[in-house]
Amino acid sequence: MDLFTKSKRGLEMKIARRDKMKIYNDLLSILQSEINGEEVILTRLQLKLNVPFDRLKVYLKQLRELDLINDETSPKLTKKGKQYIHEYEKVLDFMKRMGLKYQ
Amino acid sequence: MYEEIRTAIEVISAIMCFILLRFMIKPYEITGESRYLGLPLGFGFLGVTHAISAFAYYMESYLPIIFSRNIFYIQLIARTFAFLFIAITYYFSKKPNKNSRLTWKISLILFIALLLASLLIVSIPDLTIQIYRLTRSYLRVFNLIIILYICTHTFRSHIAKPDPKTIWIPLGYVFLAVSQYSLLLWQFDGGIYAFFAGLIFRLIFLSVFLIVTYGSFYQIKKRSRDEDRT
Repeated sequence: MDLFTKSKRGLEMKIARRDKMKIYNDLLSILQSEINGEEVILTRLQLKLNVPFDRLKVYLKQLRELDLINDETSPKLTKKGKQYIHEYEKVLDFMKRMGLKYQ
Repeated sequence: MYEEIRTAIEVISAIMCFILLRFMIKPYEITGESRYLGLPLGFGFLGVTHAISAFAYYMESYLPIIFSRNIFYIQLIARTFAFLFIAITYYFSKKPNKNSRLTWKISLILFIALLLASLLIVSIPDLTIQIYRLTRSYLRVFNLIIILYICTHTFRSHIAKPDPKTIWIPLGYVFLAVSQYSLLLWQFDGGIYAFFAGLIFRLIFLSVFLIVTYGSFYQIKKRSRDEDRT
């Protein structure tokens, strides 16, 4: 029991918790890199994003509601989605230059 | 003549702070993390204090002495809180967990309460010019300590991951520290050179921040547009 708790804590320390915005950005970036005319396979997306499938479905629904992707079953980036990635990159670069940490 | 230059520098500083405020709010907007709220608060307060100073310098000869002294008190206190807000943002930026989020929220509420209380105290009309000068000296020393903390923090984060892009902000804060130090010297010896050096170093600090902000938001924008075209 102790060992399990210890190893779990160690794992938590190693893997920094991603907030929702970071997950959105990761998901959108994967979608952007997947653009090659083919349909995006959700299980492959799930593996790349490293989240459970039910959570992936929730994120896709939220991104669809925010108009960042056009479809939940076969997601593709919208213009707003591309803008989000660019904005996120800009703000991260700004924070880095400002000496602020973001995890 | 000096009054006009002083007023002009305060107006320029206020404008630069308000431009920076527009960008300083972005980390909070995009991450939704309230621990980044100190930056826009800090630069917003700085802008307001420069605007108040400009107004006070310009109207100095027209306003009753008690009223103008109260204005100087308000700008003095608000400026210290501005530096404090920026410093606590840096302090909390390295601790992203549940406890630190709660501590940040409590600190923010406390600081705002403290600011309001201080502003109430300085509205007492009995405060003499001697008390004002003493308060100003203490607050300037305190400001210098806060700015030195920010300098150390930003230099450390630059040293941890050296990048030519990240050296400018710590240098900008060094200019701000020199500006505060010059103003402190001016307070003790009354030399006009120390006073104007303080104002000029402040303008350099704000210019460095504007250039860095431009580099982050507009050069990347240009780069991504070029990528889109290819």
